[in-house]
Amino acid sequence: MPLHHGRSRTAHKMGRRAAKTQFDPRLHFAPIVEFSEDPIISQDLDRRIVSWNSAATHVFGYEAEEMMGQPILPTVPPDLHQEHEDFHTRLSAGERIDQHETVRVRKSGESFIAAVTIFPVTNDTGQIIGATWIVRDISYRKKSDETRFRLAAIVDSADDAIVSKDLNGIVKSWNEGARRMFGYTADEMVGQSILRIIPEELYYEEEEILRKLRAGERVDHYETTRRKKNGETIEVSVTISPIKDEKSRVIGASKIARDISDRKRIERLLVQSEKLAATGRMAAALAHEINNPLESVINLVFLARQDTQAKGKAHTYLLTAEEELERVSHIARQALGYYRDTGAPIEVYLHALIENVLTVYNSKIVSAGISVNARFNDLQKIVVSRGEMLQVLSNVIANAVDAMQAAGGVLHISTRNLISSAGDGIQIIIRDSGTGISSDHLPKVFDPFFTTKGNLGTGIGLWVAKQLVDARGGQISIASSSEKEKSGTTVTIFLPFAVPARQAEERPE
Amino acid sequence: MCDSGAVTIFLSDEFIHNLIEFRREGDEKEPQRSRPRVLVVDDQKLVADTVGEILEAAGFDVVTAYSGHTALEEANGFRPDVLLSDVLMPRMNGVELAIAIQKMHPAARILLFSGQAGISEIMLEAQKQGHEFELIAKPIHPAKLIEHLKKK
Repeated sequence: MPLHHGRSRTAHKMGRRAAKTQFDPRLHFAPIVEFSEDPIISQDLDRRIVSWNSAATHVFGYEAEEMMGQPILPTVPPDLHQEHEDFHTRLSAGERIDQHETVRVRKSGESFIAAVTIFPVTNDTGQIIGATWIVRDISYRKKSDETRFRLAAIVDSADDAIVSKDLNGIVKSWNEGARRMFGYTADEMVGQSILRIIPEELYYEEEEILRKLRAGERVDHYETTRRKKNGETIEVSVTISPIKDEKSRVIGASKIARDISDRKRIERLLVQSEKLAATGRMAAALAHEINNPLESVINLVFLARQDTQAKGKAHTYLLTAEEELERVSHIARQALGYYRDTGAPIEVYLHALIENVLTVYNSKIVSAGISVNARFNDLQKIVVSRGEMLQVLSNVIANAVDAMQAAGGVLHISTRNLISSAGDGIQIIIRDSGTGISSDHLPKVFDPFFTTKGNLGTGIGLWVAKQLVDARGGQISIASSSEKEKSGTTVTIFLPFAVPARQAEERPE
Repeated sequence: MCDSGAVTIFLSDEFIHNLIEFRREGDEKEPQRSRPRVLVVDDQKLVADTVGEILEAAGFDVVTAYSGHTALEEANGFRPDVLLSDVLMPRMNGVELAIAIQKMHPAARILLFSGQAGISEIMLEAQKQGHEFELIAKPIHPAKLIEHLKKK
């Protein structure tokens, strides 16, 4: 084949073919306009409609035949006619208007929010021959925007922490409630792993949660612990729901966490008080079983001792046995016998009860080198249950004596009439110069089972005392210092003369 | 015992005179007025017996019983000055016994001896009915018990 310069035969053939079929892009435009989803409307210089696509029919409700040659104005709400004029002014100047939000009216009269894009149409010589409008109905978008904003506001104003994360545990959103609960701001948490707020030993929980989420399961009211920015732990109840895309695939999770520390605290108190009640019931049952045999043994040892020779070994052993039994009795009485004495309330002088107690502890007081300074100014008798008040005074004085066991000291006891806002009554102050109670122990002294005496303490002395004083309508308070040179404890008890009505109907446990 | 208001009995002077003489003789016949009579009641035999023995040695005249019913039978002839009784006993409890004894011998001192150092329904009931009984908690050292009995 002979070679031609510049072109191969195939190319030549193609070129001739192309020349025959002139490419007219305008033939392609028509279907583009016709099948566009947005209304496209063209007008001439007289502002008459020259083209109206099917989207325009769909959105406005007018058929093409109705609109051809007609003005576009009917689609503009009356209050926006001026804006319409302004558009034309700008168009005449050759300007484009891009995505302008405005309002349009359908044939039905319904108005809707639209975004209009308008541009002038020019001929080959650059002369403006008309304009084309693209009118996008954005009412739906507006509505869903509104909904989204409202939901966002709800999430943000919620008290609970609302957090969303993807399936890798990376935080996607973090609301105001979460900031308040955990201390981290949204900036600090979004893009970070949720593990930041989970204590290490609970990481396995997160894996378990993610596993459930991938399976499309929800996790409801799961109680656990989380960690705040300041390191503190917080008890929360968490509900986790999967977030699905439009194809129902799980793409992440939303978590709502509620602070349950208050509820937990109350639960624990309830459990504790139930335990106490159960312990009390058990103590009552035990008391009888223990006290009877103890009574017998004490009697038998006593009788046996009478029968032995005064200086003999047996006599000494039995004496010791008696002392030990006295100790056991004391513990049994304190630990098991803290229930109320049924002794009916009678009128007594409190100083008489105090003297009673001092007599009981006399040997202990003397052997510890404690001097007693008593000032009794209670001039009136007061109605109390003798047994109960003896218990109260005994517990308090015993503590004072114990505190001065090592180095002795002075035990000040005073009683006097007191006129107070809580009513008139008698005030008892028991002050020792013993070791004192440290400031971190002091708030707990009235707690049951709290003791500073190691194995020797039952921890119920002051608790029982408080129960009894409170039930009598009185108050008991304690002040103490454990500073050297100034140590000591002062217990103040106030008993009003008036007996609370409830006491008459007290039921036993 | 006469049911007052039901029957009026006319007694001759002689009869009354003889009655008084008889009573006085009876009093003189009694050996030691100073040996108080204590009725010790406890369903735990060991407690009753040991307490009884201790009180006898301490100068009291003691009769022990292991139930309320037996105690009442004994009380008839024994005429106790003091009733020292356990509270929780089967069939007749200490309070019921105390009330009965008090009817029989109004001057008798009632001491209830309890292993349950606190409330029982029984005691509260008694209180409600207006009965006030002294309560001693078990265990108690014999010396203290004796002291308590000797007081008052």
